[in-house]
Amino acid sequence: MLKSKKHVFWEALVITIAIFLVGLFTGILVETGNSNKISNLYIQSEISLVDGTAISQLSKDSELDCDSLRKNNIDFANKIYEEAKLLEQYETAGKLTDGMKLLHKKYDLLRTLLWMGNQNSLDRCDNYHLIVYLYEYEAEEIEKKATQKVWSKILLDLKKEDPNTLLIPIAADQEITSLNLLIEEYKINSLPALIVNNKDVLYTIKNTQNVKDLFNN
Amino acid sequence: MEPLTIVYLVYTFIAFYFLFIYILTYSQNRKQIYEVIKPDRNYPLSIVVPCFNEAKSIGKTIEAILNSDYKGLKKVIVVDDCSDDNSYEIIKKYAKKFPRVMAVQTPKNTGNAAGAKNYGAKFVKTELIGFSDADSFPKKDAMSKMVGFFNDTKTGAVTSRVLVSNRENKISKVQAIEYKIIAFTRKLLGFLESIYVTNGPLSIYRKKAFDQVKGFDEKNLTEDIEITWNFVSKGWKVQMAIPAIAYTVVPDNVKTWFNQRIRWNVGGLQTISKYRSQFRETGMLGLFIMPFFTLSWILGLTGLFFLAYRIFQYVVVKFLVTKYSVAANVALIAAEDFNMNPSILFLFGMLLFVLGLTYTLTAMAYSREKDFPKHPLRDIFIYSIFYLLMYPPLLIVAFYKFIKGHNTW
Repeated sequence: MLKSKKHVFWEALVITIAIFLVGLFTGILVETGNSNKISNLYIQSEISLVDGTAISQLSKDSELDCDSLRKNNIDFANKIYEEAKLLEQYETAGKLTDGMKLLHKKYDLLRTLLWMGNQNSLDRCDNYHLIVYLYEYEAEEIEKKATQKVWSKILLDLKKEDPNTLLIPIAADQEITSLNLLIEEYKINSLPALIVNNKDVLYTIKNTQNVKDLFNN
Repeated sequence: MEPLTIVYLVYTFIAFYFLFIYILTYSQNRKQIYEVIKPDRNYPLSIVVPCFNEAKSIGKTIEAILNSDYKGLKKVIVVDDCSDDNSYEIIKKYAKKFPRVMAVQTPKNTGNAAGAKNYGAKFVKTELIGFSDADSFPKKDAMSKMVGFFNDTKTGAVTSRVLVSNRENKISKVQAIEYKIIAFTRKLLGFLESIYVTNGPLSIYRKKAFDQVKGFDEKNLTEDIEITWNFVSKGWKVQMAIPAIAYTVVPDNVKTWFNQRIRWNVGGLQTISKYRSQFRETGMLGLFIMPFFTLSWILGLTGLFFLAYRIFQYVVVKFLVTKYSVAANVALIAAEDFNMNPSILFLFGMLLFVLGLTYTLTAMAYSREKDFPKHPLRDIFIYSIFYLLMYPPLLIVAFYKFIKGHNTW
């Protein structure tokens, strides 16, 4: 006669818990590793920014040439842009820990500092264009999500077409006080928004030409 | 952690748990899956065949039953439920030709199989009573491979393995796979004393147990599920003989298939509702069968909700991005769109899929047939990915019909 094997319920429970714990532990380990990797990159970027700020300071006091200034700013912006892409990938994959969200906020602060640092530089040197892209980090509306994705593509195309463009994407809903003050200063009333050369604010863009037209103003 | 992530993890945990129950049960009992128990004696058996408008198949069914090699088969009681076709004439012809066949007719149409089955059961005087649908064909050795389980005096019911006889089009071919998986799973549940249905194509009951549960519930749309829960609730064991095969005709078009599945699901809900008080009991019915059945429902419905929500969001965002990208003259797909860092939820999902597929393939390996060609891998994939996705929408419709009090075949 077949023997009842009810102990299987406990065994299955133990195996499931074990697999889950191993999975969760591995997941947390991987996410922490990613977080550490981004943290290291952030520290390097922070050093570069401080260096860049020092250069900006020098440019005010001395006759530092605009080409060096432009090159420094654009290289730095490109660097943190690449890091942001990696951060975004890790962020999408990260489900268990909130470390990435915090790092994202730190990067937004770093980019705000870069924007602030360029307020003076752009006044003195007009050999590059500055585009600040303010977007909503936790966009819930489907329409807004889609719009932001397309804006990113348009701006990336623009940057490829004109390497002298300094693109600074910043999540504007991160509760960063200095950023909020700047947003207030530019009277930004909805997101996403684009600030071109610290002068013009755009709330709708259909293609790269919309922005290029403003470069020539 | 986001609430949606927590829901996903709970969902995955339960799915893993059930899957491991099956995997462990299989690995611990694999040598006994095909076990056949030799009967201590030839238990006298009568088979009742309910029939309503089955003129096309009833003759073949009676012949298949009469062809049985089981020596204890005494009577074949074929109950015509006031068919509109010539089923009763055919049955009477067989009764005239074969003394073991008894032709009876219900005084008026009962409206469901349970009514005809109960009516036929009144004529049974043997120790065992079996039932076979009028469109099902038990194999010659099916009954003789089932009766041995009645050596155990606690066994109240023994069910067979149902396989599909018609495999002409895609929907019936996929059901042929589904029936094999169901049979394999049911056998595994048997090791846990948790078989929750004794199928219509061929099941045998101890008459004493059948009388104790007062036969089939005529108000239930799935009388075969209800009677099984009734047996378990009264402490009877339910077994399955996997080598005992009964072939059956399955729906070969979507409409019939859909109606059949709605009936199964509404009947399942009726049964859960009827036995809901047993949740608190410590027997296998309250301990496993009811939670298993109910959780399957909840998982199916929540799974569908989340899947539909994610797919809807994905499709709408993709549509809008494509529309705006075309208007903006930018690339539709960029390298950034591909994330090479999968999340833990994705990895859990993949593991679950791989384990599920392995389970399906194992079940298929245990169900090879000589009379039919092997199932192509394509059909197994259709079953594993697309066919199973049809279950949750069925649950929703069935739930709606259950709430509305749907109670007709």
